[in-house]
Order: sequence, then structure tokens, then C-alpha cells
Amino acid sequence: MRYREIIMANFMRLFSLIPLILIALLLTRPGLAQETAEIVCIQCHSGLPEIYSQPIRLWRGSIHAENDIACHDCHGGDPQDAANAMNPQRGFLGVPQEPDIPAFCGRCHVGVMRDYLASAHGLALGRGGPTCVTCHGNHQVLKATLELINEKSCSRCHSYERARTIRAAMQETEGLLVATETRLNDFKKIGSNTEKLEKELFSLRNSFHSLFHNVNLETVNKQAARIQLELKKIQAVLTEWDQAVQRRKIAGALAVSVMLLIALLAHLVRKTYD
Amino acid sequence: MTLLKKIVDWIDLRIGVREIVRKELTGYLLPRNINAWYSMGSILLVAFALQVLSGILLLIYYVPDADKAFKSVSQIMNEVPFGWLIRMFHAVGSNMMVLALLLHMLSVLLMGSYKRPRELNWLTGFILFSLVQGISLTGYLLPWSQLSFWATTVATNSASAIPLIGPYLVEFLRGGVLVGPPTLGRFFALHVAVIPLLIAALIGAHLFLLKRTGVSTPPFGQPETPIPPPADSYRYEDHPGGIPFFPNYALEDLRSIALYLACFLAVLFFDPYLFFPKDAFIPANPFVTPAHIKPEWYFLANYQTLKLFPNELIGLSLQGAAMTFLALLPFIDRGRQRHPLKRPLFLACFIAGLLLWIGLGIWGHYS
Repeated sequence: MRYREIIMANFMRLFSLIPLILIALLLTRPGLAQETAEIVCIQCHSGLPEIYSQPIRLWRGSIHAENDIACHDCHGGDPQDAANAMNPQRGFLGVPQEPDIPAFCGRCHVGVMRDYLASAHGLALGRGGPTCVTCHGNHQVLKATLELINEKSCSRCHSYERARTIRAAMQETEGLLVATETRLNDFKKIGSNTEKLEKELFSLRNSFHSLFHNVNLETVNKQAARIQLELKKIQAVLTEWDQAVQRRKIAGALAVSVMLLIALLAHLVRKTYD
Repeated sequence: MTLLKKIVDWIDLRIGVREIVRKELTGYLLPRNINAWYSMGSILLVAFALQVLSGILLLIYYVPDADKAFKSVSQIMNEVPFGWLIRMFHAVGSNMMVLALLLHMLSVLLMGSYKRPRELNWLTGFILFSLVQGISLTGYLLPWSQLSFWATTVATNSASAIPLIGPYLVEFLRGGVLVGPPTLGRFFALHVAVIPLLIAALIGAHLFLLKRTGVSTPPFGQPETPIPPPADSYRYEDHPGGIPFFPNYALEDLRSIALYLACFLAVLFFDPYLFFPKDAFIPANPFVTPAHIKPEWYFLANYQTLKLFPNELIGLSLQGAAMTFLALLPFIDRGRQRHPLKRPLFLACFIAGLLLWIGLGIWGHYS
């Protein structure tokens, strides 16, 4: 009896450690992962009348919000200090005047600003010509795609005919870009090293987007053809990867078949010993 | 006389190899009604050996440094010849091993093989189960992906629910306030050295106990016999008139192992990403919290249980109590009857517990 008690006492001592071991093993609620504290701009403006709170709502649906580009990244100021959030001495810029908008956006989008300024749109800056926000929106900034060139938007200022021709010329390249990006993302999800190809695609997309501000049809066609050629090279690499995946599946089918055959043989031989 | 026979004779003369074969293989008799579930142990031995082998191969290229870990895994997957195969073999293999271990434990529970005199077999097996969970968790961090980083952050954070020592324990587990390079170092050491050694030692103890107690007779598949009274001194359970381990049961083991490998290879080659959410291939970023961090499938029930309780300590305590109860089951369930149909209360609890675990897991997956 005493022997059993000692054994049990030892077991209990050992298993009193189990909760500790468990703690290290258990995975718990995602609710613990706290949201990043919101910046003071959002905290204040969200509670203000529509005219002041609307930018927040629009921004939440923008490509900027998607990429963690917040209010202070464009408007400056101190997003952590409510009292000095809009203090010019803390870099607050406020809302730019219309002629200053390209330079305002161009602090980040340097190449795009250059393309814009060289275009017919940019040359008309300050003389009734459109600025960045005319087409891209100011808070609900949309991802730059061909969809931005559309009859409703362009017809606000001029005829859509020329824009329609340019858009049609770029449509095929856009389709190829999107398809390549989708395939690349599929490979990325399974651990393929897509870094190099992603960089190439990024560069090609930038070249392509620079054409968006160009209104010279011949240049657009020439550049689009070059970009398509490069995209097809990326597609060729992805096709090789696809083929490798298929080859692995064939090897897998063989390996599985061999194992099933061994199982069957073992089963049959075992039966002979009954 | 063939060359082979000459070699065997030579060895036999020195270490009595024929006697070992006679005693441990051809003369080692097992119950006539032994079933395929008894092969789960052999499957697990093979699975563990394959994990060790693939793990060693991964060690050749893996760099346990927070700045280089993700890149080294990516290099293994994309540049090292057959690196993708070895890495996926190791990752898929860990999941398959946990599955086989669970099936082994369930079959032991159902057949009442944990009962006297096999309490120690059950205990060592239960500790092995905890160690396998531990090695899976520590291995999870090593690729240093978003999934690794945040799953480990959440897992280690659970310890903070313990009164008084919680915050210190979290810091001890992480090697700092947050998950970072010191955590990787600790988890790497645990994953490749400490836990494998403990598992190997426990496997040795488990096999030693099996050898000393003898293989249990399945409670079904043979004419009913009266249950013998409990022995008051050590007694090896032998099986006169049983089937020899070699070649009879060794062939059944081989069949089961081949079937296991067929299933394993099917997952490995046709759906290797079954166990990988998309965050598994994005490098760790301490500044971006992924929207939904879900644990591995075998932790989903624990995860969901913790979500159900407003107080984390209650959830943890409840799970600790359940695990402790399960570990001590042979000392609580002392009845001698082993046939599941003659243990209706046990069978009802077994089925309810299993359904609860599966239900919580599914809930956790979709929550």
C-alpha cells in the first residue's frame, strides 16, 4: 500500500507539471493580437461633422490604406500627439493648392510626376488642366489601372475618342500583366521564390503605368509591345515551374503505387502463413 | 555452404545471433487475435525515424538566424536539389505523425490496453504525445514566416494568464519581451536537440515497458474467457500457441507501414499545401499582424476552447485538468473489463469526447 502511495505521489508531482507544459504548447485566440493603435488624426476626424470625417471614410477604401499609407504620410504633422498633430513646426502641410498637387503627390510618385508633367495634362497645369486628383481621386485613391481611362472621367474635360484608342492599345498588355501577377501569386503561396520575377514585374508595371499619361499613340504601341515581350519571358519561366509541378505529381503517383504494391504483397505473403 | 551462412555462423559463434532471432523474432509469440491497430507503434517508429532523417538533411542548409532563416528555407525549397521534397517531407510528416499518434492512443483507449499492469506504458505514451506536440510547436517557428512568428507570439502569450509568474514565464519562453531572435535560438535548440533526445529516451522506455509487460491481448476477436484476477507479483503476459512476430506479424507491420507511406506520399505529392495557410510563405514581419492566425489542426480544439471562455486562465486550467485526467486515466479507471461494449459508460465518454474534440476543431477552423 505504502509503495503504491509513493508511486502515486511521484506521478502527481510529475503531472503537476502538465499545465506548465500545456501553456507552452497551446495556441490561443487571435483576439490577443491587438490592432495597431489608431493615429490621432483618425481619432479626432472620425467624430467630426461629415465634411471633416468623410476623408477618413474615403481613405479606408483606398490603395493608400491598403498599403498602410496614412494621413500624416501625405499631410505631415504628428500623428501621435493630438495637440500638435496639425502644427506646421511638426511638418504639417495641410491641403495643397491646386497647382501644388503634382508636387505634393510627386514626393513619393517621382516617376509618375515626371511623366505627368511631360504629358498634355501636365503641360496644362494651372491653365485648367487636370491634376493627379482629377482622375485618381484625392482620398479614395484608386489603384492605377486602365479602368481609370473611361468615357465618364475623360468626357468631363474633352472628347473620349483619342483616349479610347490609347486604352484599346494597352488593353492586351494590361490583361497579360494581371494574368502574370495572378500566376506569380499562386506560386508565391506555395513557397516558390518569386522575388526576382516579382521585381521584374514591378518594373514592367511601372513602365506600363508611365504610358498612362502619354497621349502619343505610336509611343504607346511601341512601349506596350516591348512590355508584352518581357511579360512573355516571365510567363515562360512560370510555365517551366508548372511543368516541374506536373513532373512531381507523376513521380508521386509512382511512389504511391510502389507503396500500395508493397502493402498488397505483404498482405498476400502474410495470408500464406495462415 | 553459402557465403552468407558462413558469415551468420561466424557472428552466431560470437554473439549467439540465432538465439536472439529465435527469442525476439520467430519465437516471440503474439496473441492469435491481434489486429492491425497493433501496428500503429511500428508506424510511429518509422514516422519518427523519417522525421529525424529529413530533419538532419534540412539542418545542412537551414540557418537558425532571424535574418536568414526564412531565406534559407526558401533556398531549400527552390535551389537545393530535391530540397522542396525534403522540406515538405518533414512538414507533412510531422502532421502525419501526430495523426498516427492520435490513432494509436485512441485504439489503446478503446481496447483498454492502458489498464493494469500497463499504466506505465500509457504514461510514457502520454508524455510522448505531449513531447510530439512540443516538437511540432517549436518547429513551427523555425521557417520564420508570418505564420511562424504570430502563431508563436500568440502561443507564448498564453502563459501570461498564469497568476504571478505569467509575465516572467512569457519572457523566459521568448528570451525577451517579444518574440525575436532569442526565441528562434531557444526553439531551435529545443526542436533539434532537447525534445528529440527526450522523445528517443521515452520511446526506449515505452518499448522496454512493452517488452517487460508483454503485448496485451485484444479484448475482442476470440471466444470469451473469464478475466483473470490481478497478479500480486510481476508476471509477463505471454501467448502460448500465438502467432510468431516474424514472419507473421512483421508482414502485417510491413503492410500497415506501406499503407501509411502510401497515404503520406499521396498528400506529399498531390496536396502538400494541405497543412499550409498562405501566411506560411510570407517572411515574418513583427509590424504587420495577419488577420486570422489559426493554429495547426491538432491544436484547433484547444484554440476554440480558449476562445469560449472570457478568462484565459479558466480555459487553460480546464484544458490542463482534462489532460491531467487523461494522463491519469489508468489510475482512475481501475475496472478489469476491457471490452468496449461491456464498458458502456466509458464508450459513451469516449465517443462524446472524440466528437467534442472534432466539433471544437471544426468550429475553431471556421471561427
